Amino acid sequence: MIISTPNALCFGDEFPASGAPCLAHVEGHGLTMTFLPDADACGRRSESVPFSELTVSAGGLDHDQLVATWAGATGQRTLYLKNPDLIRAFRQAAPDRLTIPLERAAEQVRQVRQRRRIVWMLVGGTLLASVLGLWFGSDLLVELAVDRIPVEWEQKLGESAYHDFLARQEVMKEGPAVAAVTEMTHRMTDTIAGNPYTFDITVVKSDVVNAFALPGGYIVVFTGLMKKAENSEEVAGVLAHELNHVLQRHGLERIVKQLGFVAVVSIVLGNQQGLGGVMKQLGIELMTLKFGRAQETEADLTGLQLLHRAKIDPNGMITFFQRLAEKDDGRVEWFSTHPMSSARAERLNAELTDLPKQTSEPFTFDWTNVRASLGAQAGGSP
Amino acid sequence: MKSEILYPGAFPMVRVELAEGEHIKAESGAMVACSPTIDIESKMEGGFLGALSRKFLTGEKFFFQTLRASRGAGEVLLAPTVPGEIVVLDLDGVSEYMVQKDGFLAGADGVAIDSQMQSMSRGLLSGEGFFILKMSGKGMLLLNSFGAVHKIELKPGQEYIVDNSHLVAWSTTTTYNIEKATSGWVASFTSGEGFVCRFRGPGLVFIQSRNPGGFGAWVRQFIPVTE
Repeated sequence: MIISTPNALCFGDEFPASGAPCLAHVEGHGLTMTFLPDADACGRRSESVPFSELTVSAGGLDHDQLVATWAGATGQRTLYLKNPDLIRAFRQAAPDRLTIPLERAAEQVRQVRQRRRIVWMLVGGTLLASVLGLWFGSDLLVELAVDRIPVEWEQKLGESAYHDFLARQEVMKEGPAVAAVTEMTHRMTDTIAGNPYTFDITVVKSDVVNAFALPGGYIVVFTGLMKKAENSEEVAGVLAHELNHVLQRHGLERIVKQLGFVAVVSIVLGNQQGLGGVMKQLGIELMTLKFGRAQETEADLTGLQLLHRAKIDPNGMITFFQRLAEKDDGRVEWFSTHPMSSARAERLNAELTDLPKQTSEPFTFDWTNVRASLGAQAGGSP
Repeated sequence: MKSEILYPGAFPMVRVELAEGEHIKAESGAMVACSPTIDIESKMEGGFLGALSRKFLTGEKFFFQTLRASRGAGEVLLAPTVPGEIVVLDLDGVSEYMVQKDGFLAGADGVAIDSQMQSMSRGLLSGEGFFILKMSGKGMLLLNSFGAVHKIELKPGQEYIVDNSHLVAWSTTTTYNIEKATSGWVASFTSGEGFVCRFRGPGLVFIQSRNPGGFGAWVRQFIPVTE
């Protein structure tokens, strides 16, 4: 008889602990094992065991092996079968006494595997849900963290950056431009119910067409922007936009977002004071913070509403943005951070049509005088 | 193909003699030296997806190196990265072994290497991770350990308890459950053992005398921390 590749492992007292490889055959009366010549000292030999002497179960690491046990002449023998064809042949040939417990064991194995699949699917699903939750819920978490930071603390944060910036600029302390900006600001802030911020607006002498807001209510308007504006409503539009970056706490949201999830959690749990230190460690500069697209849109829309409440013509906001976007001469910094898309203009126009019609009230100052005081040429922007 | 373990102990090396045309696959970077008749090739065992799953699931290398005696008989010297023993197994085509992810050093061409997913409890608590290597087929298999290797021979139904992270390889005829080291939760962790694996025979279990994770934690305390 020629021994082909072994298909089973036999364990017993005279065999090594790793098992003796053998070729198992299912026959009508039972099992026949043929051992490889080097498996035991006796050389090649065969051993048969009738079904009546066997007990069977499922075994092995994954419970996927058929384990047949019987009392041999030299002690208990255990045979591990893994070959699917051999197991199938065994199930077909074996009497009911053996196949019934085997089917029961197989059913248990199926249940274990099913359970394992369910556990993995649950874990996978939970992981996926967590990732998606973090992805889509991060904004919510940031808002929650930002809500817990007191305004005073936010003011302290903005104040230092504000004074650092102004120390390096030529600040306009008085004059028609300062008076005009002050009037515009008061017109708008007076309409904000429960305003927690004391706005501090500074006009800085610079040809840069820009304005920006820092957390805590600090706003800088460059004279370049005022020179470019054809009327006071256009400047008021930019101011309304910047005021709303403060009111919606956009700066703080960006900081918290950049600091990351751990900082957000620590803030939510009550550690607001550490944020300044963490920010310094991470080198986040307030001046370089850029607002997100959603924040810009929010500041636009709430800015438009603020203008409407203050009875300032909101068209100035839209026309100024559109005009400057079309005429990019490389010095209009406001638009490098506030891209003016047609969609954005359309959104503002749509919002404007939704607002109830009203008569705007003019400012008390004369815009031509204001621009002239800044050295702008009469007759509109260059 | 013949093998001989040189310098047995903590820093062994294995010499594998290859007849002309024979080849052996080894973990990437395992070759120390070889005869000039040996050609070194890089191969993705199990194809691209197999290599990918092995890399990402078990942390094993993406490529294996194949050392082929293409220009005449020659020898190859192989050594693992970590200090520890090398064990030689001869797979007979029926016996299969599960090997922890860093345990494979080299194998004959007839040895098949697959990554296999463990159950959630074993993956989380056995200290071997969710994916381990399954070695089957026929031929010589070289495994390496961290520290000395100890072979436990289990008779059918015989049990043995092994601390997790000390496992190197075990027969697929064995089975094991994860359990607490002692009857109480607190005592399990204060005893320093946490979870253990209760193996049940028949089959072989190879364990390593040192725990890589524990060694790493011990070394970490001496690494200067820069401000």
